[in-house]
Amino acid sequence: MRTKNNNGMGWLFASPYLLYGLIFFLIPLGWSFYLSITDWNLIAPVFHHVGLDNFIKALKSPGVHAAFFVTFKFMIVFVPMVIASSLIVALVVHGLPRFKGLFLIGFFLPYLASGVVSSFIVKGFLSYNSPVNTFLRGQLGLDINWLGTPLSALLLVAVIIAWKFTGYYALILTSGFESINQEIYEAAAIDGVNGWQRFWRITLPLLYPALFTTLILSIGVTFGIFTEVYQLTGGGPNFGTNTWQMEIYKQAFQNLSAGYASAVALIASVVTFISIFIIRKFLEMWGKRNGWT
Amino acid sequence: MKMKKAASLLLGASVLAGSLAGCSTGNPAGEDSTSKNGTTTIEFWAAPNPPQQAYWKETAKAFEKDHPKIKIKVSPIKESPTSEASIQSAIAGKEAPTMSENINRGFAAQLAESKAIEPLNKMKGYDDILKSRSMTDTIKGWKFADGNQYVLPIYSNAMLFGWRLDILKKLGYNEPPKTYSEVLDVTKKLKAKYPDKYLWAKPDLADPTAWKRWFDFFMLYDAASGGNKFIEGNKLVADDKAGVDVLNFMDNIRKEKGILTKQSKDPFETGLGIFTDIGPWTLQYWAEKFPEMKYNKTFAFSTPPVPDGTDTKNVSTFADTKGLVIYSSAPENEKKAAMEFIKWVYSKPENDVKWMEKTNLPPARDDLATNDAFKEIYEKNPALKPYAEAIPNAVPSIDNAKYNELQTYIGQYAVNPVVKGEVQPKKGWEKMKEAIEGDLK
Repeated sequence: MRTKNNNGMGWLFASPYLLYGLIFFLIPLGWSFYLSITDWNLIAPVFHHVGLDNFIKALKSPGVHAAFFVTFKFMIVFVPMVIASSLIVALVVHGLPRFKGLFLIGFFLPYLASGVVSSFIVKGFLSYNSPVNTFLRGQLGLDINWLGTPLSALLLVAVIIAWKFTGYYALILTSGFESINQEIYEAAAIDGVNGWQRFWRITLPLLYPALFTTLILSIGVTFGIFTEVYQLTGGGPNFGTNTWQMEIYKQAFQNLSAGYASAVALIASVVTFISIFIIRKFLEMWGKRNGWT
Repeated sequence: MKMKKAASLLLGASVLAGSLAGCSTGNPAGEDSTSKNGTTTIEFWAAPNPPQQAYWKETAKAFEKDHPKIKIKVSPIKESPTSEASIQSAIAGKEAPTMSENINRGFAAQLAESKAIEPLNKMKGYDDILKSRSMTDTIKGWKFADGNQYVLPIYSNAMLFGWRLDILKKLGYNEPPKTYSEVLDVTKKLKAKYPDKYLWAKPDLADPTAWKRWFDFFMLYDAASGGNKFIEGNKLVADDKAGVDVLNFMDNIRKEKGILTKQSKDPFETGLGIFTDIGPWTLQYWAEKFPEMKYNKTFAFSTPPVPDGTDTKNVSTFADTKGLVIYSSAPENEKKAAMEFIKWVYSKPENDVKWMEKTNLPPARDDLATNDAFKEIYEKNPALKPYAEAIPNAVPSIDNAKYNELQTYIGQYAVNPVVKGEVQPKKGWEKMKEAIEGDLK
């Protein structure tokens, strides 16, 4: 009887989350599955079932192909960039004798900045007639089309997002540094270990739990990039920055193809799930090699 | 115990239902909204910018004085993320208003295809509106492929090209060039005298976003083709010669290093570029931000340049125009009341005068350049006169429900690669046609 009561209480306490999950996750997910086999445009009173046509069309679409490859290109550029920068920030802050919290807050602030605002600032900063470009052209003879080539546009977006997330990941890595037992370093110093060996052989393996978290989070970010791309490049040039979210937005809200956009969104979620699963397995293998189970 | 469980579930469900019901804002679709005292309330979504909001609120109040049995609730269209998306969501959620403005012809085609808006020409009083507002000619270009009229145009921005007259004068010209070869001559002289300046400095030329083609390709295409339709119903009927001429024109300017597609800030205002599309809304912006921009001193207007040998009078151009629609989901009494309101607004030219004074947007009237009621506005702001004169030759956007995809192809396969020198104009035109025809099948 007591167990039954406890179960009831458990369900009661879990009910807000369960309701939330049902209304904002499960029902929309089911609706999205249903929409993906229709040609609905959000307005028409009649639904036409099109079977798997939307999925077939999506798999042949240049926009979807671009979204697939652009995401991995972003990952290759963005993940090492943000991990390296947040590691540097975390190392610097960790080494500070005082005011660590204050500095961490400072680095964390860009995370709170609006993507729209920062994109506008970058756009102005890099415009053809900005002081930076006027200087580069006049003094160094460099005429850079920052947002005009797929590679430079992708690099630029990656830098902006890395700037935004560096402070946040540095916060996680700093807590990782704090949890490493200082006695290990002392023992290593007695054994004559140099700074380089100390970092690669002790710090990095012991930082694994924090690194694992930041790596998975940053990989997740690459599948959800939208604001910066929407503001700066619109997915161009030549689909060079066309992310999954950008493609879904274009199809749903510009072309008004809600059914097709749902199919693209489902393909994107499958790709995201599989990619993160594989990467997670590799990271766990690396962890196991260093004694983390 | 079971009772308790059932009671908690019921309570939870009621709270949830109550909070969800709180999200609702209007009458469910189709339900008669006439109150007990016989008053019909209609919901009118106006464009979210302050001048248009103010105009419609004032006009609605004046109408209500004359028509005590009709109440008009004016509210701004939410732009989350776009006004079109908000309207879509409202229709999907059965929360569409009775009527709204700010609807372009392409979006109207999407709405019409889904039977979400009413064919206004089939509603009582429609012909009276056209006559009393003097818009019989202007409305012709608005006829949809199925022969109906779904949108009543409020304003028509006959798009013009702006020229930096001060710089043109330094190059030895007293007025803007009119033909392609004249424009090329200007480009050559400009680059010779000012190598750092460009004829056309506009990042949008390299951007495939659909609406951006209205302000480059369609202006030039309408001029080159004499206003020939681009798509009719589900058929591409574009004038091939005019299309290739436009792309060749762009390519020739590029070859003279006259095009800059890199991001630049206020290129026309700073004189980095000397030629660009200008809508009448820009005049108000310049008055506030760039007071040094003076009509017929620093800048002048011209209709789009045309291929050599083409008549340079009565040149067609693109009409950036939006209008009113009535939603099919509204109850009949609201539709009638909405029509009554529209009839009242457009039976008096002074309402259009007030509109133009508040918004600077030229009302879609045939007599805008000749009607004395507007004389004072042109005296105060002579830069608006060329826009009024161009209205009869202005061609609205295509009325295909897939306009967004189709216009994206124009950028993606033709305009963008041509201005970047990546494709020959004729080849680009063919690729664009192939993509459009493939999608229209």
